[in-house]
Amino acid sequence: MRREAEKPEVGALARPRTRREIMKLAALGLGAAAGTSLFAKKASAQTTGVVSDLDILNFLLPNEIFESQVFYPAALDAGILSGAAYDVVAQIQEIEVVHAAALADAIVSLGGTPVEAPEFMVPEAVLASQQAFLEAALVQEQKDVGANLGLGPMIQSPDILAAAGAINGAEAENVTAIKNLLGVVPPANEPFPAALTQDEVLAILAPYMGMGSMMETGGPAPAGGVGDKRY
Amino acid sequence: MDGAEGRALPVDLDREYSRRNFLKTAAWATAAISAAGIGGFGVANRYAEAQTAPYVTYQGLGDAAILQFAYLLEQLEGTFYAIGADSGLFTGNALAQIAELRDHEFAHADAIASTLGTLGAAVPAVPAFTFPTDATASAAAFLGYAATLEPVGIGAYQGAAPALVSKDILAAALSIHAAECQHWDAIKILNGVSPPNNVALEEALPLGTVQAAVAPFGITG
Repeated sequence: MRREAEKPEVGALARPRTRREIMKLAALGLGAAAGTSLFAKKASAQTTGVVSDLDILNFLLPNEIFESQVFYPAALDAGILSGAAYDVVAQIQEIEVVHAAALADAIVSLGGTPVEAPEFMVPEAVLASQQAFLEAALVQEQKDVGANLGLGPMIQSPDILAAAGAINGAEAENVTAIKNLLGVVPPANEPFPAALTQDEVLAILAPYMGMGSMMETGGPAPAGGVGDKRY
Repeated sequence: MDGAEGRALPVDLDREYSRRNFLKTAAWATAAISAAGIGGFGVANRYAEAQTAPYVTYQGLGDAAILQFAYLLEQLEGTFYAIGADSGLFTGNALAQIAELRDHEFAHADAIASTLGTLGAAVPAVPAFTFPTDATASAAAFLGYAATLEPVGIGAYQGAAPALVSKDILAAALSIHAAECQHWDAIKILNGVSPPNNVALEEALPLGTVQAAVAPFGITG
């Protein structure tokens, strides 16, 4: 019942701007995306097994929009990247464009409407240097993989799952490509890449939604327990 | 495929192999092929030929059969990288990566074996794998074969994932799939591909294509 009382107004759901609004969304386990109620449904899904593929896709879409239209273009335009780093980042940006389009197509194919992404920004510190950006990019790409691994098993349609697998494989490659740029030896060093909860995904995106740093959406906590601990 | 033509290679598998021509398996010409054991998959394979989505070719096999096949793929990859790590061809960062890949593949195999045990299903005996004679002729040769092998593992997991019934097994398979994609990226890095992350959407492979690709190594299930 507390969840009902704390539900943000519709306008905030569509475009969360203030920390308070984002906090409410995160506390409710709602997506950063407009109107998404994925995590709220996940609680009941544990007993009913029903989570909409549309909800999942609309949770993932704003993230791809963020990366393809804001995060990577900001770095490419900042003049901080050179050589192989520029090439890899430019490649990732193009890949994320494909992913955003694929997700939007999948949403339409299911009879849904692609959500409008909230406003994103890139903190100056992230664009301070090539090293700073690559470190931030690694966090984002690992977040992508983690989100897909967390949500994948909840997908009902085999066709949607197949598409998610195709997308996630590319995200996984991006992780290794960035690690290589950062000098990680060996760059492919995870035998079992980890899944993330929706809260963890939101926590990673929060600094790019107008918040100076990650606040209290539950923080980096063990997968699966974040949303439950809060109440 | 000189050594294979006289053997009872299933027609459907052979056609799939020729049609797709996805892998340079002709390079493995001297490897032996045995058709034994393929029949179990062949039924689903023929059923699936009229379909388009690769995952359809794995549907109906059941989680245990899919895992048993995956177990052999992991053993194959692990053995391949073990040979590479022990070959003396690699040093420094390259050796560190090859040894890491070996460890990953065997860790995958162990995890799959454990799951098979939980399911009450048999863990397949590991065959004596056959590798091309020039696999360790040079670092470039070895990495060239690695670059053809990794997409097979990726395609197999990606193709099979939607056919898995258990969500827990699916979650594990998706994680392993992501690891395999990272392996391929690492191999591309070692091969000097720049940028290495040059695939926007990874490719799923039908069962028949995977079977044809790994049959020359001695996987016949």
